[in-house]
Amino acid sequence: MRGAPVEVLRRVPLFSDLTKREVQQIARLFKERRFAAGETVVQEGSGGAAFFVIVSGEATVLIRGKKKKILKADDYFGEIALIDDGPRMATIAATSDLVCYGLTYWDFRPVVEANGVIGWKLLQRMAKMLREARED
Amino acid sequence: MTPTGGGTKLRFEPPGPGFWELDPVHFPRPATRYWTEVHPGAFQRGTSEFARSYGMLIDGLGMAYVNGFAYRMVRPAPEGELPERFKRAEEVFQKKYWRQQFRDWNETFKPASMKAHRELQSVDPDGLSDDALAAHLTRCRDHHAEMLYQHMRFTAAAVVPTGDFLAHVGDWTGLPPAELLGLMRGTSPTSAGASAQLGQLIAAIRQDPRAQQRLDTEDDPGSTLEALRSLDRGTGAAVSAYLDLVGYRLLDGFDISNPFALEQPDALRRAIRAAVAGKVADASDVEGRIAGVRAKVPEKHRAQFDELVEEARLTYSLRDERGVFSDIWASGLMRRAVLAGGRRLAAKGRIHEAVHFVDAGLDEMRALLSGADEPSADELAKRCEYRASHSAKEAPAAMGTPPPPPDLSGLPPAAGRIMRAIGIALGAVFGSSEAAHEKHMLRGLAASRGVYEGPARRVSHPSEFDRMVKGDVLVTESTTEAFNILLPLLGAIVTDSGGLLSHSAIVAREYGIPGVVGTREATERIKDGARVRVDGDAGEVTVLG
Amino acid sequence: MKRVVPLEKALDDTIFGSKAVGLGQAIRDGLPVPPGVALSGSIVEAVAAGEQPAIKEVAKWVEPLGGPLAVRSSAVDEDGAAASFAGQHLTLLNVPSAAELGSALSKIWWSANSDSAITYRKKVGLFTRPSVGVVVQALLDPDTAGVMFTRNPVTGADERVIEASWGLGEAVVAGIVIPDHYRVDRSGQVLERKAGLKRVAVRTVPGGGTVEEQVAPELVERLCLDDDRLQELNRLAERCEQVYGPARDVEWAIAGGTLYLLQCRAITQAGR
Repeated sequence: MRGAPVEVLRRVPLFSDLTKREVQQIARLFKERRFAAGETVVQEGSGGAAFFVIVSGEATVLIRGKKKKILKADDYFGEIALIDDGPRMATIAATSDLVCYGLTYWDFRPVVEANGVIGWKLLQRMAKMLREARED
Repeated sequence: MTPTGGGTKLRFEPPGPGFWELDPVHFPRPATRYWTEVHPGAFQRGTSEFARSYGMLIDGLGMAYVNGFAYRMVRPAPEGELPERFKRAEEVFQKKYWRQQFRDWNETFKPASMKAHRELQSVDPDGLSDDALAAHLTRCRDHHAEMLYQHMRFTAAAVVPTGDFLAHVGDWTGLPPAELLGLMRGTSPTSAGASAQLGQLIAAIRQDPRAQQRLDTEDDPGSTLEALRSLDRGTGAAVSAYLDLVGYRLLDGFDISNPFALEQPDALRRAIRAAVAGKVADASDVEGRIAGVRAKVPEKHRAQFDELVEEARLTYSLRDERGVFSDIWASGLMRRAVLAGGRRLAAKGRIHEAVHFVDAGLDEMRALLSGADEPSADELAKRCEYRASHSAKEAPAAMGTPPPPPDLSGLPPAAGRIMRAIGIALGAVFGSSEAAHEKHMLRGLAASRGVYEGPARRVSHPSEFDRMVKGDVLVTESTTEAFNILLPLLGAIVTDSGGLLSHSAIVAREYGIPGVVGTREATERIKDGARVRVDGDAGEVTVLG
Repeated sequence: MKRVVPLEKALDDTIFGSKAVGLGQAIRDGLPVPPGVALSGSIVEAVAAGEQPAIKEVAKWVEPLGGPLAVRSSAVDEDGAAASFAGQHLTLLNVPSAAELGSALSKIWWSANSDSAITYRKKVGLFTRPSVGVVVQALLDPDTAGVMFTRNPVTGADERVIEASWGLGEAVVAGIVIPDHYRVDRSGQVLERKAGLKRVAVRTVPGGGTVEEQVAPELVERLCLDDDRLQELNRLAERCEQVYGPARDVEWAIAGGTLYLLQCRAITQAGR
């Protein structure tokens, strides 16, 4: 079976507006990726290539060296990389052995270009989350 | 020497006929006026003497300062003297003349020097009247000149047997000088005198828990040393004896512009800690290594190998001693006296800062102490600023017409052998020993061209990447693929290990940023945040300011 | 379209990547390359995505190579660019057997698609999607290994620059040691021999992976290569230039007394 298990992705809030079919389409684009405890998964300021969903393990989000959040199973990060490959806005460091599924920008873009609906739904969901985050 | 103002370009003209080569190794920055007045004569006298006494085909070396930068010239021996020199060279090898000199050093020159140092050292310059201080400065200068001459006089003794050994054994085995010099280890440490004081210091501290404790605190290092000095039951005396021996030695360089050890108690404390904690270097494996090299020597040369090793090991200690017990100490004593003069003049408002006084020549120092108007406070400040803001990089590498390369093949065997020994020694031996003086410059491989100045950032691991800021100089052990994400931020790369074909060298070249790799100790010697200059053309990294 | 071929049959660099094709060419020309197989970019992607049939196919081809394996990335569009991508892509040494290959290939795929790889690609002007093939070979256990540039990369001079150390060449490539530094001219005359400071050697560990071992003190500054070896390397450089052209970056190793060629690619921005 290729890609990430559909059940894993359906739990991810970012994809909550997608139909099961649409999730399946995206799911097969994901690839498993593992990080060792202590590894830097994403480096603040570096160009971004992939979006990740955590299946197991824990990671910390750091902005300018300050701990902001802890991420666990079903959390995701790096979603902006799906839209533009500009600099990462935070550093993500694995605090335990981490198993993720990752989706690269290269793989995501053709799907969205072929099916605008998926892209639109994701954008809407992201905009909503940004608004909520600003109100925190 | 006429220093010019900041913006004007310096003009360089040969200081006389002949071929002059810049010496940026010993003098990376311009020298003080005092130094340019005292050094050349002593240097020429000393080198001329060793050249003649060893039957060399040169009449020693000449030294001159242009815009404060040091230029050296080889003075050829007068033709009429050549037959005498050839004969002398033969005698040198037959009689092993360096042994005589080694004896002279240990029995006469070194003890006499130490006596003279201690005499001058026992005077507290701050307690002298202006007239007495002026006289003291003159005595210190005369002593310094004599010590500079002494240093050069013993150069051949320090270097000919080693160079001779490297030349022959290098040919027979193909082993590089660095490995062959390793066979010199375990020869008697500096001198019986020095190791006695250090040995006693180590013993005293190890036996005295109060001393150990005091040494380990992170207090102000100056107070730590004072506290150690004041301990009773013999500990304080041992500390004082050691500090009296090493305290006025320059830590770095030769000119009076460089600090002596007591001015940097932090360095002294670190040295003492290291000595107390350190294990005695195990010299027993040297015998094995010598045997190992001997096995590589063709059988017919082995008897000569044994002889060469013995001679080289015998005089090896002279290499460092001849400087440390001569001018390195005398220069520190001069500086101490000069600073005392500077302090009183600064207190009167006659000069802007005490340390500017090192930029006066001796006659000027005496004049200022008796109330003269010249040089002005601004003039001295300007000279100080000049030295700090210029470096040997701005000076041409050579002036005058180079002579044709010497043809050693036509020479009588002994003469050729002497010239070759000195040649190799200047390359391998001088390079490695004098480089130890350059506390602020590191050498490595010139991996990627260009020069860049910026703040150093010590980063060893991706978890530290956050600390990198645009324009920083990466200083690290070695780089891996993970470091590539930093590349857009970097002004230059400096590594401990790696060669020209390693990852860090290749990416530095591709990114077009200066790179120096294989420095061995950049991460140890460059502090985080220090301003550094990375010269990827010369393979040098200098810690500025 | 075949997705796995013996190394000597790798002909299309848009499928197998330039490293594989380069090595294939070397084998075809009789250069001393350790035997192996080339995996296409598409099968590496399929294995990384978790496709079972792809995993099975690769295992079938790799099994005959036997014991420990050297697994190297062979990126598809590297060589065209004005960049060497040095260190960008993974070499995984001592993958114990075909069973562990799947996870090795996944790591290699991700290294080509990592944030740092993408940043680097943009910097050197490559805005297309990466594709990475893989070369799998039997792993050597060398006494000495390193890198040779057939032209001086700093000065551009027409001479061979050779850097060498003990054990696997990783120590030189990754800059873990200060390697020995040699320069040899075209005629084979040795212009320079400078012993490095080779305190560690990278060696294989039974059961997989590599380790950095302390080097015996008497070897730390002992030259790794004698003049005979330097001549051999010079001849290898000449042959590489005949096959590939001038300005080559060569990775080599000496194992069991034999000199092997591990990699040969273009030097980039030599002697700027």
